[in-house]
Amino acid sequence: MKLLTSNFLKCSVKACDSSNDNFPLRYDANCQLQQDESIDCNPEFLINILQRVDWNALVQVALDLGNNSLPPQKPELSPGDDLTDDDLAIIRDMHSLLIQTSIVEGQMSCRNCGHVYYIKNGIPNLLLPPHLA
Amino acid sequence: MLPTPYIKCDYETVYEPCEDSFLVLDCLEQEQSFLQTRFKHQLAIVCELGPGSGIVTTFLMQNDIPNNEGSVYLALDISPWALEATQNTQKRNGCQNRYLSVIQSDLSKCLRRNSTDLLVFNPPYVPAEQVPERPSHEDDKGQWLDLALLGGEDGMVVTQEVLNQLDTILSQEGVAYILFCARNKPEQVAEKMKQQGWSVDLIINRKAGWEVLSIYRFTRS
Repeated sequence: MKLLTSNFLKCSVKACDSSNDNFPLRYDANCQLQQDESIDCNPEFLINILQRVDWNALVQVALDLGNNSLPPQKPELSPGDDLTDDDLAIIRDMHSLLIQTSIVEGQMSCRNCGHVYYIKNGIPNLLLPPHLA
Repeated sequence: MLPTPYIKCDYETVYEPCEDSFLVLDCLEQEQSFLQTRFKHQLAIVCELGPGSGIVTTFLMQNDIPNNEGSVYLALDISPWALEATQNTQKRNGCQNRYLSVIQSDLSKCLRRNSTDLLVFNPPYVPAEQVPERPSHEDDKGQWLDLALLGGEDGMVVTQEVLNQLDTILSQEGVAYILFCARNKPEQVAEKMKQQGWSVDLIINRKAGWEVLSIYRFTRS
């Protein structure tokens, strides 16, 4: 699963919906990552993504995985902007992290209830065991 | 006519695209300009629940639906077979460069609140005594297939669960397309959703063998 997907996944446990800690999930530092350099950077797509992401959650997940390259505040970029070199550097970092990086194997857990979910063959499994479903 | 994805799957484990699947494709084709206008200059988060073979999500990716801003596609299925099939269908149709994540999940339970702009759901709509239990082994092939078909009482148990969650699934401008068969009593369902403040429109319907299928569009009014 590409790292950006972490921005859309919360804990499946219903009782956690009333907590603010069910999103993002906490990613295990031992997650096995893969970098796919063959995916080209599309600055426009990344700028569009920026409008939609929960930035704090991204920063948090990146930190979980040992990457502290993201600025603490969401970069202010809009579609159609003239991009400075600094902007392009941020976009390249984001591309490398959000699109080129995937988690192949590993686990993640809910910050509220602690339930552990697994990622296998790049596919996250958010199903709950019957007693929690 | 927009191109239809080429599909080659093991139909012992995933639902073979049928009249209902093709009705979803026709519906989305018909809605293309509505969706383009609604999500103008905006990246959309697209989520399909129960993609099965992956025909619908691949069709969306292939034809830039809802728009050409490069959407994020999420395909959520309870069956590991369906997720594998969806990934294969994506590749087979040359959509590797699109952002697609397949996620094993019980409906939308794992989705971040109010993040989905376009939801598509072709549910297990066949009336049955009950919704089958999730198989305990990946190899119980036929049981996974049953999950894709059987919808419990009135065939509405699974669909109703999604309707109940619609308000937390969809973004403010979010749109959902959900398929019904006549035995689901879709007019009654639509009426009830309207009372709860939703705009509900019948987009397309068709007689398919002995079934009458219809797709309704849900938006906040």
